[in-house]
Amino acid sequence: MTGLDLMAAAVSRPVFEGIGPAGKAIFYAAAAISTVLFAWGVWLRVRKYRMGRAAERWPIIKSALASRLRTLTSGSSVAKSNLTTGIAHFFIFWGFVAAFLATVILTIDTDIVRKVSELIVGHEDSFFHGTFFIVFTFVVDTMGFAFLVALIYMAVRRGVRRPWRLGYGRAAVPVGGYSRKRLVEGDWLFLGLLIAILLTAYLLTGLRILGQHMPWFTVFSPFGRTVAELLSGLGMTSDQAVTAHTTLWWVHAALALCFVAYIPYSKAMHMLADAVNVLASDRSTTLSLPAPAAGHAGYQEISDFTWKELLDFDACTKCGRCHEVCPARAGGAPLSPRDLILDLRQWVDTATGGFTLLDREQRPDRTGPLAKSEGVKIAGDVIDAATLWSCTTCMHCVDVCPVGIEHVPTIVQLRRSLVDEGTIDATLQSALQNLATQGNSFGKSARMRARWTRELDFEIPDARKQPVKYLWFVGDFASFDERLQENSRVLARILHDAGVDFGLLYESEHNSGNDVRRAGEEGLFEMLAEHNIEALQGAQFEEIFTTDPHTLNALSNEYPRLGARYKVWHYTELLAQLLESGQISVRPLGYRVTYHDPCYLARYNGVLDAPRRIVRALGCELVEMPRNGADTFCCGAGGGRIWMDDSLLAERPSESRIAEALRLDVGQFVVACPKDVTMFSDAVKTTRADDRLSVRDITVLIDEAMTRPTEPGKREELTV
Amino acid sequence: MRIVVPMRAVPDLVEEIELTADETGIDREYLTFVLSEWDAQALEEALLLKDSSGAEVVAVGLADDPEIDQVLYTALAKGADAAVKITYSSAAGSSGSAGLRTADRAAVLAGYLAAQPADLVMTGVQAADDLDGQLPSALAVLLDLPHVSVAVSVEEAAGSVTVRQEFAAGISHELQVQLPAVIGVQSARQAPRYAPITRIRQAMQAGGLREVTVTLPPARSTLIVRRMHRPEETGHAEMLAGSAGEVADQILGLLRARGLVKG
Repeated sequence: MTGLDLMAAAVSRPVFEGIGPAGKAIFYAAAAISTVLFAWGVWLRVRKYRMGRAAERWPIIKSALASRLRTLTSGSSVAKSNLTTGIAHFFIFWGFVAAFLATVILTIDTDIVRKVSELIVGHEDSFFHGTFFIVFTFVVDTMGFAFLVALIYMAVRRGVRRPWRLGYGRAAVPVGGYSRKRLVEGDWLFLGLLIAILLTAYLLTGLRILGQHMPWFTVFSPFGRTVAELLSGLGMTSDQAVTAHTTLWWVHAALALCFVAYIPYSKAMHMLADAVNVLASDRSTTLSLPAPAAGHAGYQEISDFTWKELLDFDACTKCGRCHEVCPARAGGAPLSPRDLILDLRQWVDTATGGFTLLDREQRPDRTGPLAKSEGVKIAGDVIDAATLWSCTTCMHCVDVCPVGIEHVPTIVQLRRSLVDEGTIDATLQSALQNLATQGNSFGKSARMRARWTRELDFEIPDARKQPVKYLWFVGDFASFDERLQENSRVLARILHDAGVDFGLLYESEHNSGNDVRRAGEEGLFEMLAEHNIEALQGAQFEEIFTTDPHTLNALSNEYPRLGARYKVWHYTELLAQLLESGQISVRPLGYRVTYHDPCYLARYNGVLDAPRRIVRALGCELVEMPRNGADTFCCGAGGGRIWMDDSLLAERPSESRIAEALRLDVGQFVVACPKDVTMFSDAVKTTRADDRLSVRDITVLIDEAMTRPTEPGKREELTV
Repeated sequence: MRIVVPMRAVPDLVEEIELTADETGIDREYLTFVLSEWDAQALEEALLLKDSSGAEVVAVGLADDPEIDQVLYTALAKGADAAVKITYSSAAGSSGSAGLRTADRAAVLAGYLAAQPADLVMTGVQAADDLDGQLPSALAVLLDLPHVSVAVSVEEAAGSVTVRQEFAAGISHELQVQLPAVIGVQSARQAPRYAPITRIRQAMQAGGLREVTVTLPPARSTLIVRRMHRPEETGHAEMLAGSAGEVADQILGLLRARGLVKG
């Protein structure tokens, strides 16, 4: 050996220092038990997911793999709405990975390299020394410290700062009462175990370094060495350190092995479940809902859930972001997406005999998620019908979830069960019956659909009889609601005066079925879609534009699966283009306005710019609401809610939205959805704000600003 | 217990109803037909009886009623055990576009019920084209059975049924009715249940409408429709014209004028 080799060999640390052969045997036995418990727990989980139906997720896993791996490794989905927590989670994530890899490297060196080299070359060889050791200890020591600091931050956040959304109060208190004490205990056990493991690790390192009389290379374990110097400063001798080290080694080993065994039975499972859930998550399942389970409508038993849904339930870390943004929860409805997921998780585990340490809601009367599986309805008993009917399908929960849970499709599947057994609101029932007989929710004759056009002084071409460039799919509200018909005429006049070549389906248009599908009435959706697709196929046009963002969603995301693929625009996109190309000339209005993004336009279909471009082109000052763009707050009308009673809500989502706008000191509340005109016109009245804020469709604003040619028909020769 | 529920399709009143050129009937060509709302109540009450006592519920319609297949399949989707579509033949020929008069409808149904007796016949107390509610009583006369109309609940009571019959001012009394009997139902104990379209479509795919032919006895009705009239403004009601906003202003003006609203 050269001197250099000798020095390198000394730059290391013994692995089982002071443990002895018997101790080693005990440790390996305990490690084996811990591994078996871990594997068994993971198997129980996997067995549960295998009970679920197939979910076609390979395409999304393949196509989005790179970006999803970036999400996972950067923790961007955790940091999205809360940067500090995201940074802390980042260090915890990588600290854990580092600790795990360190253990793997040590195991390879101790149990493979050393043993195998002894067999082959006759003496123990090792790579755990020299430069490798120095880099290893430096990386593990610093990352471990960041891990510890991040955990302490999380503990302070949870225990001292107590953000509202980490309180686990339910959206609605069940009749017999409930307690979520054990959920809190489960969180602290998780956090406490990790902190204890790290604290003992640093204490152990410090004791070892002190026991070795502070060799020079331990400066590369800066935090471990600091502990050693502290202990030394407190008067501890090397011999005392060696003795304490042996005892503490067992404490640390026991904690670490317990943690491994604990993972699959606790919140720690999210490390495994959520990695898969993020890779397999697919937000398009909310844009274009999945088909019902084969054989029956809705969900009746555990095997009706897909494996992805069962994984969703386990994936929830209770972070409460969905709970915070949900318009139903905010309005005082019994729905909270987090409660829904946790209830389904607990019920599935209750029914399949899954075991979880703490982390369970308790109820004296064993109702809801604690109900025994026999004869229990998932939609109705486990989750209350009123809870399921509260959802506006605004999709905020899906988008805000850091771990890829898809709440909305599950809610709709459960609504399908309710519709199948007829557990529906009287007003919703009457809307559905009207839709079935007349193709509109207003209960008006299908033949009256285009009656609003009668007051126009020109005739809109009938796309069933003559070719047009754009087919205008008007939608129910814009066609039948007397408060909205004038807006439709205004839009027709603007387009006519701008020389746009457009036509209608007249009475062949029926409701698109977007909200019908989300209300869980799959058969009626199919019927409406089949009718419309037949009408579309019989008409001559190049592209479609819609008034209603809900219709836009059905036509662009639901109909293609039924064989109808068209280019579909929202009317704001068309109008923005007309303004920018100069086909519509306007004078500046100079209003100070705010703009409400419709969920189905902004969040579902990413149309954020067009309405803003219009507002700018009209010379208005746009003051954004705090919740804007894809983070918009629902008006409360979606998912069929517009047909249901909302009088029991403490505060309607639309009223909360108006309150938000009132704080901006703007005079006008601009909307781009017919349902929004209805919802917010009502809300400014019920909140007595109609003298300060006027609700205006963006069309009306353009009409006011539009400078029309003096000679009628002058622009007729222009075409888009 | 076998309950037969005669059902009929009537024009959807949201449609503008036009008269035929000779003004003796309504123009049925472009009309949408839906189940008579009172028949929907009768079916619901029959299904509630089925839920509580396991009765067999048979929905019955006349083949000549437009959209009757839809009506009968909907009844099956809601839980009726069987559905029967009656075709009738008569010396006078079929009813044509004018529809069948209630007396003749009763005769056809009585012909069916004579061959396929029921313990209980439950039908709507009235219909859009039978506002005087002749059908239940005519049926009872033809079948020579006891009869109660304007029923608001029908419940089983050991070999008979207990029927609540409603009077003006919300007063009602309870009758014990020996079976077989004919009941004209005003309303069921709960709102008619919803039939999901998927279930209706499943019922259609399964088929299962039984077709029965009945021979209609010689014409019983001696009434002839001379002329039908469109709704007339009678002067008792003032029709407010204009846009929704204008109408709202007029209503507000009227309320203010009568001192019902201040300001």
